[in-house]
Amino acid sequence: MAARVEASLMITCLADTFFPEVGVATVRILRRLGVSVRFPEGQTCCGMPLFNSGYHDDAAAVAARTVDLFAGAEHVVVPSGSCAWMVKAEYPALLARDPRRHAAAVDLAARTRELSQFLREVLGADGASSPFAGKVTYHDSCHLLRGLGERSAPRALLQSVPGVDLVELPGADECCGFGGSFSVRLPEISAAILAKKLDNVERTGARCVVACDAGCLMQINGGLLRRRSAVKALHLAQVLAGEEKA
Amino acid sequence: MTRATFLERIRKEVARAPVAAGVSTAPRPPHPEAAAEAVRRQMAERWREALDSFVREFERVGGIFHRVADLAGVRPKILEIARGHEATALVAWDPASLGLDLASLASDGLAVTTATSDPDGDARRRHREDSARAQIGVTGADFVLAETGTLILLSGRGRSRVTSLLPDTHVAVFDRSRLVESLAQVGVLLEALHVDPARSMSGAMINFITGPSRTADIELTLTRGVHGPKTVHAIFVEAP
Amino acid sequence: MSETSLQTPFPKRAAAALDDRFLQQALTIATTKFVDMRREAFSGFPQGEALRDQARAIKEATLQKLDLYLEQLADNVERLGGHVHWAATGEEARETILALCRDRGVRMAVKSKSMATEEIDLNEALERAGVTPVETDLGEYIIQLAHEKPSHIIAPAIHKTKGQVAELISAVARRPLPADPEALTAAARVQLRQKFLEADMGITGANFAVADTGTVVLVTNEGNGRMVTSLPRIHVAVMGIEKVIPSMSDLVVFLAILARSATGQKLSSYTTLVRGPRQPGELEGPEEFHLILLDGGRSRQIAGALREALYCLRCGACLNVCPVYRQIGGHAYGYTYPGPIGILLTAMLKGDASVKDLAHASSLCGACKDVCPVRIDIPRMLIELREHVGREGIAPRSERAVFGTLRRLLLSSPAFRFATVAGRALQGPFARQGRLQKLPFLLSRWTRFRDLPPVAARTFHERWKDLK
Repeated sequence: MAARVEASLMITCLADTFFPEVGVATVRILRRLGVSVRFPEGQTCCGMPLFNSGYHDDAAAVAARTVDLFAGAEHVVVPSGSCAWMVKAEYPALLARDPRRHAAAVDLAARTRELSQFLREVLGADGASSPFAGKVTYHDSCHLLRGLGERSAPRALLQSVPGVDLVELPGADECCGFGGSFSVRLPEISAAILAKKLDNVERTGARCVVACDAGCLMQINGGLLRRRSAVKALHLAQVLAGEEKA
Repeated sequence: MTRATFLERIRKEVARAPVAAGVSTAPRPPHPEAAAEAVRRQMAERWREALDSFVREFERVGGIFHRVADLAGVRPKILEIARGHEATALVAWDPASLGLDLASLASDGLAVTTATSDPDGDARRRHREDSARAQIGVTGADFVLAETGTLILLSGRGRSRVTSLLPDTHVAVFDRSRLVESLAQVGVLLEALHVDPARSMSGAMINFITGPSRTADIELTLTRGVHGPKTVHAIFVEAP
Repeated sequence: MSETSLQTPFPKRAAAALDDRFLQQALTIATTKFVDMRREAFSGFPQGEALRDQARAIKEATLQKLDLYLEQLADNVERLGGHVHWAATGEEARETILALCRDRGVRMAVKSKSMATEEIDLNEALERAGVTPVETDLGEYIIQLAHEKPSHIIAPAIHKTKGQVAELISAVARRPLPADPEALTAAARVQLRQKFLEADMGITGANFAVADTGTVVLVTNEGNGRMVTSLPRIHVAVMGIEKVIPSMSDLVVFLAILARSATGQKLSSYTTLVRGPRQPGELEGPEEFHLILLDGGRSRQIAGALREALYCLRCGACLNVCPVYRQIGGHAYGYTYPGPIGILLTAMLKGDASVKDLAHASSLCGACKDVCPVRIDIPRMLIELREHVGREGIAPRSERAVFGTLRRLLLSSPAFRFATVAGRALQGPFARQGRLQKLPFLLSRWTRFRDLPPVAARTFHERWKDLK
């Protein structure tokens, strides 16, 4: 009998605080697939907001804390492309001056995956058991697409849900305008970029736009609500678990 | 700043910069002239394939391709082109560079100017005026690059730079010996040319010409013939 | 002019651009077209990826011996009868050219497109000295007539309507011309042809300079690069030191990918290789050739954080894919070089403080790095710039306070929990139908344009108890 897969969930600061339902859906999907889910409590954030704004010593301190918290995890699953990228691409260099933690960071980077990548690469899973139905379009979040090189796993998972009619989003690979603090440093530019994205989304006729990043979802959902659109923004986990936001 | 101080500043920075390992500049042929000879031998076998590619690429960039059986067919073809453009004046490279003498076109009502070697100030001025007045400029082509539909012209004695630039229409005449398939091969040929440039080139300019002059600077609308020719013709002479 | 632009706060420049409806349209059309053409040019070109890797390696290897290659280049140019000038600063470069003009009785100079000459504000200096500079690249000609700066590296006048262009060119022609690109191009051809034939001096930049042979390489589409290097009696090329490459074998690697990246063409209409002044027996060509090697701050980055920015080929591909550039255009960047690479070049040439706002004019989406022919990691360097700006105390104190607080929250689970509890308590009055639509202070920057989800009634941490 195959050993049970154990995975630790890195919930991300945005999902923890604003979209806990994404975490709940993620846990449900993983358990349905026979994964034993752990949740190291006390986790806060991957530190990317500090890193992107140039506060590297601070980001390193947060990285050290995170590396310690997730020590010993067999797999780390992150329902966010940007946070997974932060751990995989930036943590080792950030902790270069601390040999023990650097080694731990390299190890953690190898064991960390964004959710769709974990589902496909580690579990070989699909979305066949989800009851979700409707026309759906998918937005490529920048760090998942360009940072982690992943374009096919989320699409394949969406397509495998029997009730889903997946339509390709024009300009799917174009940024939504979130960019973390960019969204509040330069809100007019961020909003103008967002408007293009939302126009493309509405043009597909989909009833929901899916992304794998809480930051993108905050931006896109915030815009859809503001323009009273009928379109909803959902996380991939919510579609695969067959749930919807109230 | 003096050369010495300028370079010293750079030297200092280069010395303290971290060096990324495992990078190198492009490999160069150790014996460029032999390598160029090898390219020519290769092309002697592959000129037909190269020609097919060239025609496709040349037409794609808006060039007009013609084929004549032999050198004797060039003159009437040029006349045909000239009539098509309602041209009254023509300027050309000298017969030694072109491989043919177009002076006789004068009897067909075309004013013909040919490049001279060793011009003086007056000759230069006259040539410039004639070139600016001519509607057609006829040159050879030193290399013809199939991959991109490009004509490569060396300037020099009897090979005026502006013949392919000032008139509205440029006509280039070439045969199979000029065909090259790839940019990489052009790199080899350029290396070979520069081994002893005084011997291999009498001019200071090499022009790669890929179709007519163009711009899209006004609302991204493509227009041709901005400063250079509006039309480029290539005449391929079949006979070896 | 550029100094003043950089002194206007960036958000103001950006806001003006966002309000300009024609600019918005023009940017969308132009950048979309360039992006599509580039994609097509690389999709049928399997060798492209390996060539990009090779091109990057060549740039890096060249930088490792930059002094040697510059020396070799200079020796070869001088051997050909050319003159080499070593300009540590833009001012030195300008002075060299002005001295030449005085000395040789130059009254009118025709210019081929050169970002380096924009960088050193050459045109204004020439005009002040009584020399008329005439831009001959059609886009540059248009903006010169309009007394403006270029807004894109490749298509300097994309922010102008054909109606605006018609007005400008009609004024020169002294008769009304239709707002038709063909007619306007034809008129410009005539207007500028005269200038080429009469000019005393031709001024160009250099896309590359081949050290092994002393060759300056110009990549153009219009033919003006050939005109200005064949007709006037003096040719001056102004070149950033990072443009030198070792050999012709290196040159063809770059030629294979440059035009594809910039405009989607396999090669531009003209690639011109110039080896010094005209040779004896040539009918045309300058009597004199001057190569001005410009440092202007570049050498400081050889061992600096922005070293990779020295690989830049000035193709403009990063501009076309940048969500910020596509929204605000080139003028909002306030300096010679716009777009993602422009932020790095501005920092390189004007200092870190000049980009305290611009360094944040990026969502770090990475599209620029994706399309750069030499794979410059622009996002990484933008983050480094932000770090420098922070470290050097250039960032405002209020910002550092906000991030200091954030740090404390992220390093302590109880503090993080407290913040969510506090958020929940404070948001009550602002919540409408389960959304936050109007928040005060910093958060109003979000809610001005988007709804914000409220802090969840129970965070995931709190719900985990039930999921355990």
